[in-house]
Amino acid sequence: MKIESKIILSNAFNIGLILLVGFFAIQDLNLMQTKLRFVEIADDLNASFLEMRIIEKNYIIYQKRDLLFDVKEKIDTAGQLLDSAGKDIIRAVGENNFVSLQSHLKHYSDVVDEAQKSSHSDIDLNNRLRTEGKKLREFSNTITWLERRGVNDIISSSKRVLFYSFVAILICAVFVSHFISQNILLSLRGIEKLAKSISKGNFKKIESAIPDDEFGSVMAAINSMYEEQKNSEEALIQSKKLASLGILTAGVAHELTNPLNNISMIAQTYAEMYDNLGKAQRIEFMDKVEKETERIKEIIKNLLDFSKPKEAHLKETDINTVMQKTLKLMQNMLDVSNIKTKLNFVPDLPPVLIDEYQILQVLVNLITNAVQSMQSGRTLFMATRLGSGGDSVEIKVMDTGKGIPREYLPHIFDPFFSTKGDEGTGLGLSVSYGIIKKHNGDIRVESKVGVGTTFTIELPVYKSK
Amino acid sequence: MEDYMNNYRIMIIDDEKIVGDMAKMSLEQEGYAVETFLNGEAALARLLEQKFEVVVTDLKMKGVDGMEVLRTVKQLYPDVKVIMITAFANLDTAIEALRGDVHDFFPKPVKIKELKASIQRALSNS
Repeated sequence: MKIESKIILSNAFNIGLILLVGFFAIQDLNLMQTKLRFVEIADDLNASFLEMRIIEKNYIIYQKRDLLFDVKEKIDTAGQLLDSAGKDIIRAVGENNFVSLQSHLKHYSDVVDEAQKSSHSDIDLNNRLRTEGKKLREFSNTITWLERRGVNDIISSSKRVLFYSFVAILICAVFVSHFISQNILLSLRGIEKLAKSISKGNFKKIESAIPDDEFGSVMAAINSMYEEQKNSEEALIQSKKLASLGILTAGVAHELTNPLNNISMIAQTYAEMYDNLGKAQRIEFMDKVEKETERIKEIIKNLLDFSKPKEAHLKETDINTVMQKTLKLMQNMLDVSNIKTKLNFVPDLPPVLIDEYQILQVLVNLITNAVQSMQSGRTLFMATRLGSGGDSVEIKVMDTGKGIPREYLPHIFDPFFSTKGDEGTGLGLSVSYGIIKKHNGDIRVESKVGVGTTFTIELPVYKSK
Repeated sequence: MEDYMNNYRIMIIDDEKIVGDMAKMSLEQEGYAVETFLNGEAALARLLEQKFEVVVTDLKMKGVDGMEVLRTVKQLYPDVKVIMITAFANLDTAIEALRGDVHDFFPKPVKIKELKASIQRALSNS
């Protein structure tokens, strides 16, 4: 899930909790409002009941019959109040209590009526009047008291509910956001780890399953970057190869001059001597021409092999053969610059699994650099041998040139780093490095200013299964 | 004409065997005595034993090269004419050769007629 969706979901969850708590709080408040309205009505009722009883008491003491009219008037007012506020009262105390209240009022009213009708004051009737009045007032007081207590209960339960809800929301919010942030951090740490490993030069395609979140997007972006880089790396190798080809071509063009001159001289002599030549001699002349064209063909073939863009094609190869092939291609450059070579190739080395032309390209780069750093008449040493562990083959290209200043050495394989000024592209060694790394090999440099530079290449020995 | 030329010895030095072979064949037609060598060392050794009127040498050879042949010949026998042929014709080597009093300088591929004419000029000047 995307981080964005996770955050939205966690927020929605928290908002939902808050709404739920708010809903319950509103419910409680509504109930409280109803109860409070009843309490108000009940207060009015109680007040009129109290007045009734006071008048009733006066009646009993003073035996004034017209006071009963006053009581009756109060009873009617209370009855009207009960009728008009009936709905609210039922909602607050329930129908049973309402009916009881009504019947209590009715009984009292009946006794008052009876008292009015009887012509004289009767002790028994007075007692009933008092009892019914008392019952009415007590009942009314009781339910009012109960309702007041109910309101208190609602307030304290609301307080409790609100408190627990807030605690619950707090806990949920803390847990959910912790969970979400852990989740996000986990993704970010993954990205961080990836970025660190890339910065260490470990730039590889991510093969593991790509998750459906922002981390997945980063992984997908890295994979597409890797593809881009691989493509441009291949293009870089090819372009560098064409640059090396330029250097080689200059030498090879000279190399072509000799067989061309030979053919030209054979042709000129043939024409001049034609009449003096026997049949066998003429054929001999043409054979010589044929041999010279073979020579030219061989030179061109070497160049073309080198220049063709190729998919890396790994083959079991004897490194000394590649060294010899390289020297053949470079011989003219060495000759023109008057650089002597000293070779020490240990014979019968175990084979290496290499793309011959890529390794050849690396060697052309190294030899070109060496030759360019050396003065006329100096010597270039080249050697092959078995690596110290026995599981690698070592190639050394050692010049007796200017050497590389110590501060430049760490950058020597960086792309676009060149000590040759405008003449160098700064890509030769970086491409060479890439090629050797692709072969699971290693390339190192040692150099001393004024003494010379040694490049050492190690390639793993090919073990056939 | 042939008798006149018969007295002249021409030395040809080139590590390409065909150059020597072809030049020798063609020049012998003209009546010159021609000896060919594949390297400078053997050629200079032979020069100490035998007088040659003209030395035709390739410039670029392993070991003793054309420039060294020119210097040595001019030091030992200043009147011997040296003609240089080369596959690596450039201004620097041409200037160096001229300073060394080279008689003529031909880039490869060599026109044998021009070479012959140059040899003739060298001989008539001496």
